This record gives sequence, structure tokens and C-alpha cells, in this order.
Amino acid sequence: MATTTATITLSSADLLSDNMSLSATMNLYKGGTTDTGLDQMNYHRLVIPTGTSFDLIEESAALTEDANYVYIINKNTDVTDFVKISINAEEIGRLYAGDWLFMPWDCDLSAAANDSSIEIQAFTHEHIIEYALFHNGETLVTSADS
Amino acid sequence: MATTTATITLTTADMADSAFSVSNTATLTTAGTDTGITETTGLGRKKFATTDNVVLLDGGLTSGIAADVTADKSAKVYIKNHNLRGDGTKFVNILLAAVEIGRLYGGDWMFIPWCAASGKDIEFTASDATETTLEYTCFYE
Repeated sequence: MATTTATITLSSADLLSDNMSLSATMNLYKGGTTDTGLDQMNYHRLVIPTGTSFDLIEESAALTEDANYVYIINKNTDVTDFVKISINAEEIGRLYAGDWLFMPWDCDLSAAANDSSIEIQAFTHEHIIEYALFHNGETLVTSADS
Repeated sequence: MATTTATITLTTADMADSAFSVSNTATLTTAGTDTGITETTGLGRKKFATTDNVVLLDGGLTSGIAADVTADKSAKVYIKNHNLRGDGTKFVNILLAAVEIGRLYGGDWMFIPWCAASGKDIEFTASDATETTLEYTCFYE
């Protein structure tokens, strides 16, 4: 088992009349366990062209009904650039240049969920995206020539 | 203009052969500009004891704490499940409208952009009726 932590700090000196600072740290555990850490991850960096919505992280049987956590960051620098992040064609929101997200992800293969893959579409320019998936299993593909 | 930052640090010393750490800071700006976001719902903390579907942030309504969030801009939402983890079987499902995003177990947090269009509510459904405490805030323009 591995120990992986995710920490967020939200802060502003001038949004409110006094300083605002909020910090939270969580351990990334497997679902249904008291304290067994997730021990698998994927980390990617890729270029997303404009014009098409792509599956950034595809749903798969090995990812269902468990704890998965996703981190995505938009590495572009032009402030007008953004990507839309969606699940099942339902837009969660936009990541502008420099923005990141961290969220749990429920990979659901049921017919009702339709398609729980995490989708991304780039606007304005092609985008450099980095993302991580912390998970408890991956559906491996048998090699065609074995 | 205000300067509000969100910093994430992901670290593990033992998942891979070498330690892994990623840290990034986003400055929260209005859509397509470098002007800082100047509005927030404030930090909310609420307790719920139901397995019913509950709307946490109402998108596109003319009243409520999210009424002024402009749709399809650069709103960001933070949510934390303040419950203890326990045996790891209790969680809240976070949904956008009817689409499930993922599960927040006790102690888990999330930080996401939010399109906030009409009907695109951020909702949750608890896995059981044990009292659940959520902390949340939204930054928006």
C-alpha cells in the first residue's frame, strides 16, 4: 500500500475584508477500506487540438465502484485559452490557462450512466494538458500478437 | 481586483520507485482575462441526514447563494466531506445535474470549475442517512 496525499490551500489577502486562508489535506484511500492507500496511478502530458471533444480518461471495468481521483491542469499561458471538461456530454466547467481541478471520479459502466468517461474539448488554441489518475485497477488489453 | 489563489500539492513517497510530487498554484480570474475574481458565496458548512438527492449549489436560479454566478464563465467550487472516514463505506455522491461526478469519502475534498448554467446544479446524495457535514464555497464572476 502507498501513502498519497492531496493538499489544497485557498487564500486571498484582499477578496474579503480580512485575510482568507483555507487548507485541507486528504489521503487517497481505496474505496471500502479504513486506511488502505491507492497504489496505482497514471500521469500524462499531451496536446489537445481544438475542434473535437475527446475522451481524456476512458471508463473501464477495472475502475468501477471504487475510489478514483483525477487531477487535470491546463498548462497554456494565454488567458483566453480554455478547455471544457465534461462527463457524459454534461459540462462540468472550464479550465482556463493555469487552472487545475482535483475531483473524485465515479467510473460507472451502467446503461443509466451511458458514458462516464472524462471528456475534454479545447478552444481558441491547442492545449497542453497534464493529468493524473489515481486508481485501484486498470483494464489491461491482451496483446494482439501474443 | 482581488487576488485569490488555489494551490494543490500531490505527493507520494512510496507509490513509485522514487518520490512523486506535483504542486501548482492557480490564480482565480474572470473568464478569458487576468483580472482576479471578486465574488464568492462565502464558506458554507451544512449538516444533512438524508439519502435524498440534495441541491448544494443551484445553477441558473434567481435566488439562493449561487444566484449571481454567471454561467459558462470561470466559477470554481470547493467541497469537503467533513465526516470521519470510518470503515470507508460511507460517502456522498457528488453530481452535476443528474450526472455523477464521483464519491467524496469522509475527509475527501474536491475543487472543480463549474459551468453554472441553468439546471446544472451541484447536488449530492449520501450513501446512507448518517449525518453528513459538508463544507463548500464558490468563487465566481
